[in-house]
Amino acid sequence: MFTRFEEYAATQMLGHPDSPPRKDGKLVFDAAWQRTVFGMALALSKQGHFEWEDFRQNLIANIAAWEHEACDGKTSWDYYERYTMALIATLEHCEILQSGELAQQITLNDASQ
Amino acid sequence: MAELFDYDKNREASSAARVRALEALLIKKGVLGSDSVDAVLKHFETVAGPFNGARIVARAWMDPAYKQRLLDDTPTAIAELQFPGMTGAEGEHMKAVANSESVHNLIICTLCSCYPWPVLGLPPYWYKDPVFRSRGVREPHAVLREFGVMIPAEKEVKVWDSSAQIRWFVIPERPANSEHLNEAQLAALVTPEAMMGVALVPSPSTP
Repeated sequence: MFTRFEEYAATQMLGHPDSPPRKDGKLVFDAAWQRTVFGMALALSKQGHFEWEDFRQNLIANIAAWEHEACDGKTSWDYYERYTMALIATLEHCEILQSGELAQQITLNDASQ
Repeated sequence: MAELFDYDKNREASSAARVRALEALLIKKGVLGSDSVDAVLKHFETVAGPFNGARIVARAWMDPAYKQRLLDDTPTAIAELQFPGMTGAEGEHMKAVANSESVHNLIICTLCSCYPWPVLGLPPYWYKDPVFRSRGVREPHAVLREFGVMIPAEKEVKVWDSSAQIRWFVIPERPANSEHLNEAQLAALVTPEAMMGVALVPSPSTP
């Protein structure tokens, strides 16, 4: 039994298709945004905004969708890109995020740079 | 050929921008705190992970009395080091076994939930593989050879199956030519694989 959400959440993924990249017992992030999005999903679920299992099922479905893409024009594998898509889908499903809001925020961020 | 492995820079920038915007939006909505991400990842980065196990092993190498206490009563000996990640159920029921001149220990596990996270961190991909587990029991010398660990046929390999009741980890043999190293330097040599028994701790390069 796990008393810590972080360990429960990561353990649910291990040995399954949504298992995160790791090396020498540690999570592997190639860029800061990957670390951020991984932590965001964990933090939001830990706070009770959605069930971890619901997010996982979205992630597994997103990974399966990539696997079934036609080889011709298939984008290269990016675990955290799929992870981001799954988080967005989960947030939209539980109505924390409205359709179009994220695109507006990206435009806003671009304009302020 | 190399272009097949190229990663579009625009795609990377676009992913980063999307996550940055998502974080900003969620903070603005009051759903996410500005320090929530760091707080949750701190667990993996500084609280529970192989860095704890490495410190335990280094202390055992430096202090034979501590090593004996670790073998006799692992949770109490670990508690002496006061790691914050050892207070929950994940840190309970741990048991250390020591490699020696006559015995090499190998840890297997049937469930990731039985993995001693606070000392070993996240388990590797192959750890739950049924072939690894069954061959580990049946022919441990051969399995270790495939990991690059050559154990003489006459040396006994003990296989320990972690469970919710006992979560095993290995105190590897201290490498040769490490007498000049301090505890922190010794800890830096210890890998999760060595504490699972599928690797040896290499001798440090000469200073």
